[in-house]
Amino acid sequence: MENMQAVNSFVAAYLKKKGFKEAEQLLEDLHSKDSAAPIDFHNDPDLAKFIHHFSQSEDEVARYQDGYSKLRSWTYSSLDLYKHELLRVLYPVFIHSFMDLVAKGHLQEARTFFNAFHEDHQLMHSRDLQKLEGVLSQSHLEEMEFARSLRQNKVNVKICQYSYDLLLQYLHKTQSSAMLGVINEHINFQATSGQPGSISDDIEVVTLIGSCQDAANQINQKEIHWGLLEDSLEERSEKEGGLLSDSEKTEGENKEGDAEESKKRSAEGGKQGSSTKKLKKDKAVNATAKSTRLEAKTTSSAPRVKPELTLPIMSTEVEQSILEDLRNRVQLSSIALPSVSFYTFLDTHNGLNCSSISHDGSLVAGGFSDSSLKVWDTAKLGQQTGGATLQGENDSTSSEHVVRPNGVKRSYTLFQGHSGPVYSATFSPLGDFILSSSADTTIRLWSTKLNANLVCYKGHNYPVWDVQFSPVGHYFASASHDRTARIWAMDRIQPLRVMAGHLSDVDCVQWHANCNYIATGSSDRTVRLWDVQSGECVRIFIGHRSMILSLAMSPDGRYMASGDEDGTIMTWDLSSGRCVTPLMGHTSCVWTLAFSCEGTLLASGSADCTVKLWDVTTSTKAPRNEEKSGNPNRLRSLKTLPTKSTPVYSLQFSRRNLLFAAGVLSKKV
Amino acid sequence: MSNVPKEAIEVIAQSIGITNLSPDVAIALAPDVEYRVREIMQEAIKCMRHSRRTVLTADDVDSALNLRNMEPIYGFTSRDALRFKRAAGHKDLFYIDDKDVEFKEVMESPLSKAPIDTSVTSHWLAIEGIQPAIPENASVEAPSDGKKAEYKDDGTSVDVKLPVKHVLSRELQLYFDKIAEITMNRSFSVVFKQALLSLATDSGVHPLVPYFTYFIADEVARNLNNFPVLFALMRVARSLLQNEHIHIEPYLHQLMPSIITCLVAKRLGNKFTDNHWELRNFAAKLVASICKRFGHVYHNLQPRVTRTLLHAFLDPTKTFPQHYGAIQGLAALGPSVVRLLILPNLEAYLQLLEPEMALEKQKNEIKRHEARCVYGALLRAAGLCMYDRLKMFPSLLAPPTRPIWKSNGKVATTNKRKASTDNLMQQPPAKKIATESAMGMMPINSMQADVQGAASSFSNTVGGSNIGVSSMTRPLSNDNMLGREVGGRVSKTSTVLAQAWKEDTDAGNLLASLFELFGESMLSFTPNLSFHSSFD
Repeated sequence: MENMQAVNSFVAAYLKKKGFKEAEQLLEDLHSKDSAAPIDFHNDPDLAKFIHHFSQSEDEVARYQDGYSKLRSWTYSSLDLYKHELLRVLYPVFIHSFMDLVAKGHLQEARTFFNAFHEDHQLMHSRDLQKLEGVLSQSHLEEMEFARSLRQNKVNVKICQYSYDLLLQYLHKTQSSAMLGVINEHINFQATSGQPGSISDDIEVVTLIGSCQDAANQINQKEIHWGLLEDSLEERSEKEGGLLSDSEKTEGENKEGDAEESKKRSAEGGKQGSSTKKLKKDKAVNATAKSTRLEAKTTSSAPRVKPELTLPIMSTEVEQSILEDLRNRVQLSSIALPSVSFYTFLDTHNGLNCSSISHDGSLVAGGFSDSSLKVWDTAKLGQQTGGATLQGENDSTSSEHVVRPNGVKRSYTLFQGHSGPVYSATFSPLGDFILSSSADTTIRLWSTKLNANLVCYKGHNYPVWDVQFSPVGHYFASASHDRTARIWAMDRIQPLRVMAGHLSDVDCVQWHANCNYIATGSSDRTVRLWDVQSGECVRIFIGHRSMILSLAMSPDGRYMASGDEDGTIMTWDLSSGRCVTPLMGHTSCVWTLAFSCEGTLLASGSADCTVKLWDVTTSTKAPRNEEKSGNPNRLRSLKTLPTKSTPVYSLQFSRRNLLFAAGVLSKKV
Repeated sequence: MSNVPKEAIEVIAQSIGITNLSPDVAIALAPDVEYRVREIMQEAIKCMRHSRRTVLTADDVDSALNLRNMEPIYGFTSRDALRFKRAAGHKDLFYIDDKDVEFKEVMESPLSKAPIDTSVTSHWLAIEGIQPAIPENASVEAPSDGKKAEYKDDGTSVDVKLPVKHVLSRELQLYFDKIAEITMNRSFSVVFKQALLSLATDSGVHPLVPYFTYFIADEVARNLNNFPVLFALMRVARSLLQNEHIHIEPYLHQLMPSIITCLVAKRLGNKFTDNHWELRNFAAKLVASICKRFGHVYHNLQPRVTRTLLHAFLDPTKTFPQHYGAIQGLAALGPSVVRLLILPNLEAYLQLLEPEMALEKQKNEIKRHEARCVYGALLRAAGLCMYDRLKMFPSLLAPPTRPIWKSNGKVATTNKRKASTDNLMQQPPAKKIATESAMGMMPINSMQADVQGAASSFSNTVGGSNIGVSSMTRPLSNDNMLGREVGGRVSKTSTVLAQAWKEDTDAGNLLASLFELFGESMLSFTPNLSFHSSFD
């Protein structure tokens, strides 16, 4: 009965502390009426102890602090072999303890706790800590999506069985209920049998993601058809090429054909030194690289899928010109690097936000913070360049004359209409339209032939960070601060699909080669793949540690590359949803990525004033072939091309595999 | 607790006219303010990234505020990053430097130029993977992927390093032109003397030093036949060297060749009419003064000079005036150099010179005169050298000169202590080499000495080098003597002892051999008149 009394007093104290006035009253009433409680507390000493803990209200803060610091010192003094695994547990415990303290209103103490221990995690999680540091009241926890998602989801920690046992043992021994509570509530242990993993084992361990891993895994189970479109031009050209090489077995005839072609093109007048060189190189490649052709064929013998969208019809002339480009394409590989033509913007007065290059390199657009969009015809850049960068493109695609309004001498066409900084611009595949997105929440369609604004697409509620034309034109996708990506068609002023799901801004968007999917990169540090037809998220790619700035899809549709704020580039296998290999090398933001047309090279442009060329055949295809061996050639930077203090804003491979790059000459302060 | 203290809230409240803010409110507001600021900054960073920048600007903050439907902060918009200044006396308090601008000034100032319109240029960043070396591309140096940042910095530093435009004031230009004109045309006038004085004393001529050195080098090369100009240029050079206010060291490399030219050139002015001997003497003094002044800073200066001069001296194909210049130059560098480089070759050289001076063998009077001049120079050099030695060991001259080598032993004992202290500084290996080669051919001797001299002794201080040099040169002359007079003596005594008395023997022997070569005229170089008289 004395025990009973004690229990009653505990319960009363607990209720009082928690402010359950009515329950307290009720309890008192109950006691006054009938002192015999029906619950048998005697046989459950743990429960009594648990309740006892809660009764000590003043100690609550200290329990977190003590518990954590004990856990920490225990972890640091644990066996070397298991230490790093146990250290992984510390970080989630730390942030959740901190958030618990904030949630319970102990702001001052929470801050002291944070300051005392945050240095341990500074190295791995500095960005997260920066965000959390600002959380100073309960309402902030509710408001901040990062904190909210952390609190709603469990963190997966993969540790070996023995480490897990060690941890449990420790928690039992110390009776540290606060820590136990945090660990139970927020950590999902995946105990694996065998030896502990190596420190740098998998990247997911150190990245706390907002969304639940399970959900991501579930999503990533879905089937995707990453194959190329049936009956695409590439396929046709392959067939044609196959026929050609079948019918014209002899090398001489082949050369003759090339010579004829070059003659024809010189007759067309758009003949430049560079294109002769290209041709020569082409011939050489033709002669030597039959095997590459063959290989290219095998890669393009990827599964064919039917388009889920109704695709625009291509005129025969356009088709012809593209086919010719395909025929004249330079085969790039790790030994045959591309030529890079660089467009440098001068005197932008820090105003250029984005740039874009048309597929044939004949037009360069720049979006400015003064709401203007300016388009340069590269053929008129100056005598010395004189369109040397053009590839003898048919005149039909490049706008012939830049209209200069009212005698004002300008080297560019000025497009005005936006009422906020222009954040992105994209050319249609044929170069006859430009889309621009702006902070004024609109997307505008411009005609390069008429030099006029055609449509203003309204739909987003916040600045539109990125807009991209689909590979076939007509459709385009946009990404916005309102955390959605949207699919549009040129002839509708309303979006066709709205992709919602990202937990933060959608920063960049990219179309899949077969137009059935789009990929979006977000400030929540994930990349998602969406089905255009259904609008569903079909893949979540987790692994980046900072905001994603650029995306590129390989032309064979199998791989994707994404670049982030820290300079890391990751290549992903779309079908498995896994990271193939991270490509390290850039020291600053990766603004742009581009795959070469046959998918052998990846070019990346960065704020560290370099263009890097990566061999993706070794980094992505080797593992596929020798998946079992488990020793893939991790990353291979083929070449670093430094610019003269010019951050690289955009990259574009032409259909003939000439690489165009653009950037602003920035003076060092 | 938070970065925003409640005092800040109170201050802000007061600034907007709320005086009775309760402390509770301030405490509650402070964390929220911090959170909001962080939120705005997070959005601002997003805007910055989407503007493809890595530096946050006031514009970004404004657009972030815009995103949150708030009014932007006016008055800070600038395309460039704001420059913060640290408040004096505070470690972490910064403010934006906001200068007061006079309204009138702004109104009256001319309109600023319209900014240049944006343009686009194109170039080849790479052609088939290779970067062409064109000005648009960053210079390619050791492309190491590992050290990316460094490499980039290299590229930009090359970019930044523009040629500095050096502006000369009009006055200095006039001064330079005037001096140049006087030097070229009126070097005999009084004005030239004034000019030299000015050059030697004025502190303001410093900016002109590079121009003067270039001027001297240029004009010497052009006016090798114009004796007055050459002499005037040398005097200008001397004045510049004398000037204490100017820092001439960086230009020495330009100046030295001109001076050496004036010392050992084949022809200086008209061979017959001009007194080129005087110019050579002057240049020799100049060289010596330079070596003395800068020798300790530039260790290879004197060795290089001596090597040049020695080559001129030992080359029989060179003319006598050139030999003369070389001898004068070497002599001016000090007795140690003479001992090391001239004396070993003296005998052989005199054998060459002898017939040239003889009236019956050399018919050409000018040649004969030249040979005599060279002979005089040699005599002087050797004599001064001996004088120096004798001054160090005055006791040598106590007994009569002729029997010196016979009474050596006694002399040695008296001087033993001093000599052995000197001995500490000697370098046995060097000595050994010198001894080994001593009996060889004359050119080899000199070569050996040259090498060693260049390697060790020249840059030493005068005292040190004296000892060092003597230790090397002694065996040469000594062995000559020993072979002739007192052979086999050295080998019997222990090395230390030998060293000690050889030091003295050497000086005595030197006098003897020089006397043999030059005859009585040598005696005029003995230090003390009393000794001199004792010989008579």
